[in-house]
Amino acid sequence: MSRILVTGIGLVSAIGNNAAENRKSLAEGHCGISQLEGFPSRFAGIMPFGEIKIRNQQLIEKFGQHQAGVTRPCLLALMAMEEAIADASVTNAELSDFSTALINATTVGGMCLTDELFHDANAADEGSPYLSSYDCADTAIFLQKHYRIGGIINSINTACSSSANSIAFGAALIKSGRAKRVIAGGVDCLAKFTINGFNSLHILSNELCRPFDISRKGLNLGEAAAYLVLEPEEELRGKKYYAELTGYANSNDAYHPSSLSDNGVGPYKSMMDALEKAELLPAQIDYINAHGTGTENNDAVESIAMQRVFGTVPAFSSTKANTGHTLGAAGSLEAAYCILNLSNQELYPALQFETAIPETGYIPNLKFKPAEIKHVMSNSFGFGGNCTSLIFSLT
Amino acid sequence: MLFIHDTSCISPQLSFGDVDLQLLQPVVNRRLMAKEPDYKGIPPGILRRMGKAVRMGVGAAVPLLQRAGIPEGIILGTAIGGMEDCIKFLNQIIEYDEGMLTPGNFVQSTTNAVAAQIGLMNKNTGYNITHVHRGLAFEMALLDTFMKAEEQPDALWLTGAVDEISSYNYNIERLGGWYKEEIVSNEDLYNSGTKGTLAGEGAAMFLLSGIKQNAFAKIVAVETIHTDDAGFVAERWNRFLENNPSDLIISGDNGDSRLNQYYAHLIPDPNNGTDLVRFKHLCGEYPTASSFATWLACYILQGQPVPGSLYQFPAKNPGYKSISIINNYKGQQHSFINLSCP
Repeated sequence: MSRILVTGIGLVSAIGNNAAENRKSLAEGHCGISQLEGFPSRFAGIMPFGEIKIRNQQLIEKFGQHQAGVTRPCLLALMAMEEAIADASVTNAELSDFSTALINATTVGGMCLTDELFHDANAADEGSPYLSSYDCADTAIFLQKHYRIGGIINSINTACSSSANSIAFGAALIKSGRAKRVIAGGVDCLAKFTINGFNSLHILSNELCRPFDISRKGLNLGEAAAYLVLEPEEELRGKKYYAELTGYANSNDAYHPSSLSDNGVGPYKSMMDALEKAELLPAQIDYINAHGTGTENNDAVESIAMQRVFGTVPAFSSTKANTGHTLGAAGSLEAAYCILNLSNQELYPALQFETAIPETGYIPNLKFKPAEIKHVMSNSFGFGGNCTSLIFSLT
Repeated sequence: MLFIHDTSCISPQLSFGDVDLQLLQPVVNRRLMAKEPDYKGIPPGILRRMGKAVRMGVGAAVPLLQRAGIPEGIILGTAIGGMEDCIKFLNQIIEYDEGMLTPGNFVQSTTNAVAAQIGLMNKNTGYNITHVHRGLAFEMALLDTFMKAEEQPDALWLTGAVDEISSYNYNIERLGGWYKEEIVSNEDLYNSGTKGTLAGEGAAMFLLSGIKQNAFAKIVAVETIHTDDAGFVAERWNRFLENNPSDLIISGDNGDSRLNQYYAHLIPDPNNGTDLVRFKHLCGEYPTASSFATWLACYILQGQPVPGSLYQFPAKNPGYKSISIINNYKGQQHSFINLSCP
């Protein structure tokens, strides 16, 4: 069975416009969560958000995307894709070949255009330029046309675990011989729709989120785009690679539409199944990039599930304290962060943490430090009980 | 190879329970709305809170799960999921100016809500995923199942698709020019010569595995293409048919004059025995309509008679053993699916 290697990464988030900037921010313990500036909302100034401070018009100019109907997710995805493709040295000919696949994930899609969607859905006389931009497939279809990608194109939505599943689906395409090269990841933008949705569930914090802290009050929403280029070992021909995707598993908590079961049935199963797929023992995991949203429910359940899997938990942290919760982009963004951990042999400090939760007493890694790490896990759990764990290894 | 062990379909026709496709259910005001059953298998308290897409998806899955128990995983395709709940929540945001909102519509609006609800009711902690790739969402669910069945042939998968017409997505598609302006009956859909089609909806579910035993049909191949080049589609289709010889073609022609070019090459050679049928006058157009065609192919492969209204040309060769479906969504996303007797 061919090994699946990560040959390129590309990412943009509230803490940086590319991988190098993100790494620097993580190492320095920089928090990118700030006041909302991009669009008017009642919550601007009241709640902080992990906003990328680049306006759409700047991206339209930069990439020459002046045609009608191009949305912020398309533009941010394009920015991250440019970096990933260059990083992996994927040629135009390779992109157009039937063996190159693109798997995108998003939960909001073009619905970030809340007011335009309201207008179009409620029988206006004339449509806006965004009539075909609202659904979750729009970004993948935009990217396919832009790069003339010739292979399988797909879009996935499993809520907050979406882009972890696009990586797993991409790996399956390679393993089954249906693709030789997969660009997999996700994008989500801040939107009135999700801000009000999460607020109606009372899980947004009006302060900076505090993952795994006893006094955590909820999550901060963020926005990001992140893509990984995956290629099988035999196609590499001497090209550099960062790490191997050794484990991936998807399970369902089957408990409640918007919260996790007390002892974390789904999170436990996704972590255990990913370990089995990677043929690793729990003790071999050196670091976990936890889902760690900063909500009461997630962090308690995830801690208990980690305790059940690991007993003594390895170093862990949630980078959502840096970026906010980027929903459909979180899985691939945090996978890219795991690649940075591995390729630089370093751990980044958890932010806004003071006191451990009583159930487990778990304290995340609090300091930047060089570390010998070989296997890292990334957890992503979403509404609808959708849980996915990925494992990357230096091999 | 994916073997089909059971199937169920809620559609604008009498496709659920006692199937009767001879009695054509008419289009009303440019819409073919699903004939929803009474959903006996769903607890009333849960049913009341479900949006239409969730209701149809769960409703079509329930009989299969009642017979099969707990499958290894749930693999769905939907382009828009619970659009009605989505816009209801959006309307709340605007009307109450981001005030105190109730979360029910928000939770039901996410496209993964159908697979999640089935997982919840089935207490299924296995693989659970929702493919949302617009006109190829169902095909991607099939492709996913192919890969799962290759890894674990003896496991059973619940795979299917659902999409709804709400007044909201009807408005968006109407503004986009995708529905007919004039009133057209089901029978006249293909002869209108105008742009646009009829709106449709439905849910189709399948129990699939890599094992032939107790299967009544198999899915042999699925191919997807992104292009607007009709010549390229025809070339790929011809190659697909060479690899998957078929005695019946199910065409996704939806009566939109702009899309005729993608089906023009299907006109059968009078010297070969292939027959040609169409199905969108039964279910209307929606992004996962190919799941209805797949259900229809299963129905035909089980030896059920093909209603006369489906034939584009007089039938030459009934008793079909291998069926290929050709479909496209808005001329951008194209798919071919081949099914045959096991």
